[in-house]
Formats: sequence, C-alpha cells, structure tokens
Amino acid sequence: MKESLLEILCCPLDKHELELEDAEYETGEDDSEEIIDGTLVCEECGERYPLEDGIPNLLPPDMREESPA
Amino acid sequence: MGLEDRRDLETDVYQPAEDSHLLASAVLEHLSVDETDLVLEVGTGSGYVAGRIDAETDARVVAADLNPHAVRQARTDGLEAVRADLVSPFADEAFDAVVFNPPYLPTDPDNEWDDWMERALSGGEDGRAVIDPFLEGVGRVLATGGVVYLLVSSLTGVDEVAAQAGEAGFSAVSVADESFPFETLTILALYR
Repeated sequence: MKESLLEILCCPLDKHELELEDAEYETGEDDSEEIIDGTLVCEECGERYPLEDGIPNLLPPDMREESPA
Repeated sequence: MGLEDRRDLETDVYQPAEDSHLLASAVLEHLSVDETDLVLEVGTGSGYVAGRIDAETDARVVAADLNPHAVRQARTDGLEAVRADLVSPFADEAFDAVVFNPPYLPTDPDNEWDDWMERALSGGEDGRAVIDPFLEGVGRVLATGGVVYLLVSSLTGVDEVAAQAGEAGFSAVSVADESFPFETLTILALYR
C-alpha cells in the first residue's frame, strides 16, 4: 500500500489513528514506493493489524481468520 | 494469473455481472470528481467497478472487501486494496464518494452455504443484513457534499432501503434502473 493511504485509515474498533511498525518497502513498476509488509498499531488501544503482500488487513480481530465459516 | 488461479477466483470472488455493469455506468455518468477526490468501493469483489472508476476518472480509488481473495485480485489489478468490514477502518470524512454493490439476496437461513460466494450474495432473511449496517456507518466516512451510490434490487425492496437511508440522515434519489426477468435493479444516490 502507499504510505499516504495511512492518512485515511483508522482502527476499526475505536477509530483512532494507526502507527506503522516494522515496515518493509518495495519500489513498484512506476518507481513509486510502497509498503509491502509491516504492522499497523492503534495509537489508542494498541491493537495490531497485519500488513502483508501490500494489503493492510484491518478486519476487527474477531473477524480476521481466512475462512468464512 | 494462471488458469488455475482464475478458476479458483471464479468460486471465491464474485465476478462482474449485470449489477456490476449497471453500477459502474451509473456512477461514471453521475459522479463528478477531480484528482483531489477520494472514492471508496465497499465490497469490491473482482474490482470491476473500482477499476472502471480508477481508469475513467481522475479520482483516487480505494477498493475494500472482507474477502482475502477479492482484495488480492484488486491489488493484482493495480488497485489500492484494503481488507475491511464495510467502512469500519476508514477515517472520518475521508471520501467524496462511496460505492457499494451489496450482498442483497434474501436467503432462507437453512439454505446458506457459508463460503465466500455466499457472503458475496446473501443479504440474510430480509436481504438487508449487510445494507442496514452499511447505511448506519457510511455517513461517518463521507466528506461534506459527498455522495453514496448503492445498488438495490426489487428483491430486497427499494422503498425499504430508501426509508432506512432516510433514518440514517440521507435523501435517496434513483439515478438508474434496469429490469431483468426476476428483479429490477436500481442505483440509489444518497445525499445528506
């Protein structure tokens, strides 16, 4: 994801801002830099959200599992 | 993307159909945005509608879905993708437009098959199990003067959805509709 996306994301639980930790960057085909891996941490409640393969997973923790069942 | 992956996507991700085409063309006809504007597609599925808006307007487009297969497809297709439950992880007043083709088919609870395709189609017993919480939440992420484009089927009830939108503080205007053998699809524009 682009770092600028962080400005419009928030913690799904309490709507506070997220801080990026352990970020790994990659330069895309159009020379723009993207965050490819890392963790988004709520500045208020401390909940941690994974960012993998360039996609932030901001589902609430109880919905985070891969399977729909 | 190989054939095998494509086949998996057909079972795991809702692929563009008549409803997707109607929503995309209605949005592109009515939405006026520039390069400073932000558009969110909720439940992007294959990313078809978000992709059209991204390609045919100057706006920055964000594609969100609950389904991990859908967000991966959207990202592969060059869209900014976020795995999200409706609008819950987006900042207040972030978007100038929000677009949603919701799961809307009324479903007997005994008949639900509980996989990603069911999640993409089923709107619960009254067809509004996803639409109602969307309408409650979407106002928070909408900028002043922002608009919501929502696809509604006659199977779900356009009047019922418009009434629910009214309770959430919106006025609803029908901007497009199209009839099919078993349903009429309507695109509602919601304004505050």
